[in-house]
Amino acid sequence: MSANIYKHKKLIWVFLLPAFLFMLVYLYYPFVQNILNSFQHIKYMGTAGGEWNTPWYVNYTKLLSDVKMRIALKNTVITIAATIIGQVGIALLLSLLVSNIKLGAGFFRTVYFFPIVISATALGLLFNLIFLYDKGMVNQLLQFAGYLDRESNELIDWKSKHAMFTMLTPVIWQYVGFYFVILLTGLSGIPAELYEAATIDGSTKRQMVRYITLPLLRNSIGTCVILAVTGALKVFDLPWTMFVNGMSNTWLTGTYMYSKVYSDVDYASSIAVFIVILGVVLSAAVNRIFRQNDDFEV
Amino acid sequence: MKKKMVLVLAGMMAVSTAFAVPAAADGVTLNVTTTYAGEDSNAQNYKDSVAAWEEETGNKVEDSSATSDEAFKSRIIMDFEAGSEPDVLFFFNGVDANQFVEQGKVVSIDEIREAYPDYAGNMKDDLLGASPVDGVNYSVPVNGYWEGMFVNKQVLEEADVEVPTADMTWDEFLAECEAIKGAGYTPIAASLQEIPHYWFEYAIYNFQSAETHNTVPESVDDEYGQAWVSGLNDIKALYEAGYFPENTLTATDAETFQLFTGDKAAFLIDGSWKIGGIAEAVDDIENFTVVNVPGKGDRKTTDEIGGLSMGYYITRKAWDDEEKRDAAVSFVSFMTSDEVVSKFAGVSATALKEGASPDTSEFNALQIDAIDYTASFTGISPAVQDNLSAAAREPIFADMASIVNGDVDAADAVAAVLEANAE
Amino acid sequence: MKKKLSPGYVLIYLFLILWALTTIFPLAWTLMNSFKDKKMIYSNSFALPTGIAFSLDNYRNIFANYDIVSAYRNSFIISGTVAAAVILFSGMAAYILCRYRFRGRNLLILLLYAGMMFPIYSTIIPVMRMQTKWGIVNSPYVWKNLLSVILPQIAGNMSFAIIVLMGYIRTLPVELEEAAYMEGCNMFGTYFKVVFPLCKPSMVTVGIFSFLWSYNDLFTQMFFLRTKENWAITILLNNIASKEGVNYGALFASVTLIVIPVLIVYMFLNQYIIKGMTVGAVKG
Repeated sequence: MSANIYKHKKLIWVFLLPAFLFMLVYLYYPFVQNILNSFQHIKYMGTAGGEWNTPWYVNYTKLLSDVKMRIALKNTVITIAATIIGQVGIALLLSLLVSNIKLGAGFFRTVYFFPIVISATALGLLFNLIFLYDKGMVNQLLQFAGYLDRESNELIDWKSKHAMFTMLTPVIWQYVGFYFVILLTGLSGIPAELYEAATIDGSTKRQMVRYITLPLLRNSIGTCVILAVTGALKVFDLPWTMFVNGMSNTWLTGTYMYSKVYSDVDYASSIAVFIVILGVVLSAAVNRIFRQNDDFEV
Repeated sequence: MKKKMVLVLAGMMAVSTAFAVPAAADGVTLNVTTTYAGEDSNAQNYKDSVAAWEEETGNKVEDSSATSDEAFKSRIIMDFEAGSEPDVLFFFNGVDANQFVEQGKVVSIDEIREAYPDYAGNMKDDLLGASPVDGVNYSVPVNGYWEGMFVNKQVLEEADVEVPTADMTWDEFLAECEAIKGAGYTPIAASLQEIPHYWFEYAIYNFQSAETHNTVPESVDDEYGQAWVSGLNDIKALYEAGYFPENTLTATDAETFQLFTGDKAAFLIDGSWKIGGIAEAVDDIENFTVVNVPGKGDRKTTDEIGGLSMGYYITRKAWDDEEKRDAAVSFVSFMTSDEVVSKFAGVSATALKEGASPDTSEFNALQIDAIDYTASFTGISPAVQDNLSAAAREPIFADMASIVNGDVDAADAVAAVLEANAE
Repeated sequence: MKKKLSPGYVLIYLFLILWALTTIFPLAWTLMNSFKDKKMIYSNSFALPTGIAFSLDNYRNIFANYDIVSAYRNSFIISGTVAAAVILFSGMAAYILCRYRFRGRNLLILLLYAGMMFPIYSTIIPVMRMQTKWGIVNSPYVWKNLLSVILPQIAGNMSFAIIVLMGYIRTLPVELEEAAYMEGCNMFGTYFKVVFPLCKPSMVTVGIFSFLWSYNDLFTQMFFLRTKENWAITILLNNIASKEGVNYGALFASVTLIVIPVLIVYMFLNQYIIKGMTVGAVKG
């Protein structure tokens, strides 16, 4: 794709510099410190690195044999699958549908954004009440519907019996709106003429989606999948407010790292390194799948 | 180029606040950080007292108080590391302060007394809260805390059992729990998943005494280590007997607290700071009281947990600053005077020689019961968990669910804590 | 234009409305409970606040005791600057990464993905040390303290912004840029006159999310905005909520007060995202 005009590369650094300078100073340099920390023994968060661990890689061997880390990884894989199918899938469906209606489109665009603006604390509280054991919304509804016995006040402990489901529902639901907005933006970039031409050719709606919209939306969908994968790896706030300390074996890589941030600083650093490596590898893989002949050659 | 305009405008706005130069005070400006913020019941008292001190001295306080949590604690430690610590700090006197005490960044009371002989003269020295690092006093405490068993009288009435008294034994307590459970109520409101701390403290206390309780075991096999294991197994037994809420391993503390205030659970072990929360949550405070936690073995039912876990520090930085030294000493002396301490203390313990003299005329029924309760103490021990860092506590506190449901052996958990603590 | 009420449309609307209900519900629930006293929330959080149950006390309490105007102002300065800087810098970088082939490009893209993964907890300490050295932490000047939040937040949102913008720029037809080049535009001219305006919808999306995350980023604010005059809205309301303990009414009122400005900003900017779309979307 590089046309002639993109042969003069002398000044491109002017455009790259501000963004990468910010990241160098505020992300990469601190993270190099974090990598060093993962090989050191650090007593309190915030103190300068002390002596080196013996052996220096001990945190990483600990990581490999850590049962909770294994649980976290398994759950994170489940979460990644659920977010790709659930979040991006639903968001894609919603954005296609909304772009195909006139009446109320603005309304839907606005309300689908709502969940993202509410803080994790408030949402955690809300979903705690929805899944609450006694007098929770779901249990009350089930009693009302006769699925649970009302006389004996039969209840389901959602946070223990269906823990993963109870944790993932709000997480997925909250960020559908985020991908919805990104996909909607992508849709707005598709030139109207293409649809007009297709209409003149007598294409049906379904054909237009299949042969125009989806192929042209591939980049946006790829972006969403990358954001969903990396998001699943580091999500912690909403799961943490609902499932403190990985109760009922609901550890995720993000919550597990968070649980160690203050108490075991150097170990938390090694988990962070692990999350970052995993994230980069997975993002590169997603990129290959979605744009193999385009522009990413690793 | 609209975006650029926006940027320029935003920049200009930011710059315009830049010239909001801080008002120069006539006196000295002290940077003070405390935990009297957020839900702390003394936040307002603190504000008032600071205003009174400013009024009296003409000095100014730059206050950066915040609610105490792990993020706050590491912010304080990082401030000391980076050299941006406050002049006066109200902070924990236990292991949380080790870092800056070790580095000599706060001034000891003895050193202050060389220049100001009356400093903290109204306090009992042995109650000031010596640092675990070197046994030296660095901080001046204000109000302490105690722990006790809050009782929902209505639930007991309906289960047809008596309010526990100061001579109740552990077995009698278990019998009451059984009766309460039989009547369809939850005997003990506690979220073992979130806040197992109080039960941990009292359960192991039951295998020790007021003199020995505040000792971290050397190993899981010694006398104290065994006490910890037995205590944890007692909690497991209570769990297996079904005395905790059915969902105690998944419920939040707020949820189980609501069982208690909502007349569904009978007992709640918690700290003196919970009185305000109970009063706010219920309509009829007369329905609630606080009693001694039933004990066994060497621990008498009237031996309780309590102490003074925080105090005012003067930092080396302020002490070495000629201008600030006087002001810092004056501020701490003001904030720890008999009058102010009495106001802050309410029903909690103090280190005052003369004792606190709170104004009881406005006390509610529970607060009045609390005065009787504290009068009944025959022994008092600090919480042993305060000797453990957050990292060291984890194998027990974050994993209580696994301990009570049998996934993790109590002895292994204690061993893991002691190993982490030795690091 | 004639409207047909085919079964297909009914199904579409049914689905859209169902999802809308799930997203409106929590906000309505939050709003509703912000008008209730704590005890009412405990007894039934799903009941409407009517009659004696309705109370403005939660709001009255907040407005009477806190300087909420100053907090809103600080928040808008911080988040507005962050969003503007992110839009400007990320767009330029995304354009180069998309259109140019040069050595080290793949490395930069890998670094971008990595940058998105860094948890704030693992970078905050070196950042704090650096900024303290520069004298912008704990400064008596408000603007310095705000700057100490703005700078790390710009960096924190950069990766995400570049990745999203790259996805968008890639779909733009390169012909327009070629035409500009023919007319004698250099890299700067091509970008600012052709690419930047075409990217408006995506820029707005990136701006909205940068604003939102900066606005809600309690952790950074807690570290760098210590005294009251420096507080931004999220930290102020966090203080209120924690002061009220388990007083959910105050919590809901604070959430409502946090959310409203963001929703207004979103509704205001939403039109940019959809511009051009309405033309293209439906026929038939």
